[in-house]
Amino acid sequence: MPPGFALPALPATVPTEAYVVLSAVLFAIGTLGVLLRKNALTIFMSIELMLNAVNVAFVAFARQFGQFDGQIFVFFVMAVAAAEVAVGLGIIVDIFRSRRTVDIDDVSWLRG
Amino acid sequence: MEFVVFVIAAAVAVAAALMMVLQRNAMYSALFLVLTFFCIAVFYVLLGAFFLAVVQVAVYAGAIMVLMLFVLMLLNVAHPEPADRRLAFLKPFGVIAALVLVIELAVAVLQAPTEPAAAVGGAATGAARQATPIARPAPATPAPAFPLPPEGVGAAEVGHTQALASVLFTRFLLPFEVTSILLLAAILGATVLARKRPETT
Repeated sequence: MPPGFALPALPATVPTEAYVVLSAVLFAIGTLGVLLRKNALTIFMSIELMLNAVNVAFVAFARQFGQFDGQIFVFFVMAVAAAEVAVGLGIIVDIFRSRRTVDIDDVSWLRG
Repeated sequence: MEFVVFVIAAAVAVAAALMMVLQRNAMYSALFLVLTFFCIAVFYVLLGAFFLAVVQVAVYAGAIMVLMLFVLMLLNVAHPEPADRRLAFLKPFGVIAALVLVIELAVAVLQAPTEPAAAVGGAATGAARQATPIARPAPATPAPAFPLPPEGVGAAEVGHTQALASVLFTRFLLPFEVTSILLLAAILGATVLARKRPETT
């Protein structure tokens, strides 16, 4: 884009702060989902959203510092998330087998 | 141009995430979450992490969400949640807690040194931070047995798959192998949990 043609208000690249703010907003939305929803599966999805929000911040910082470490860490977060989903869904299926529900209000045996 | 794409993708991501949270039907929640994951893949592309973008679409939007939808359909619980009966008075507190978290994170971000990469080792962050030169390019790994990318892996190089792999398989080899053990444990755990158990209860 020729320099005279570009919109002056727009920065050339997106600043890291924008990604961090976006990451914070997505993380908070994930928290809201965990707090509001009663379906165990939806809560699980909200946790996935929180993990992804953190990943965005990791990649943004990796670009800012010109290092790979942030991106490598995202790989490990994805691997842990995959393991978590596998085990967590197994637990949910098991709870559903014995209780016929995935509503977390009905599965409060551990409440003190 | 990049900024416009970012703004559009960010708006779609936040809107889809909100819809995911506020949706009563779990099936729609899952589909909105897939949309959010695609937007996050767009962010990865904008940040130069092309390989991560592919992994995001393949693993998250592909494998993990398919697993979730599979369980959702298997259990047949996608019908809308009934409007709440007990503990309904707790919902406003959830909203308030999330808003407080947003404000806290916003304050933390806005109070951080705004000068990118230059202020990290600066006086504002203290002497302890100065000892670790975060802002420098990656130091060369000792005795690289693999064809490493040209030294000084800069911001322009970040995200190239070959360079990423050479870091992953040299400096981060041990965590990589530990991850494989973790995945094996997850496979075993999921198998044990999903197994049909004898009627002993």
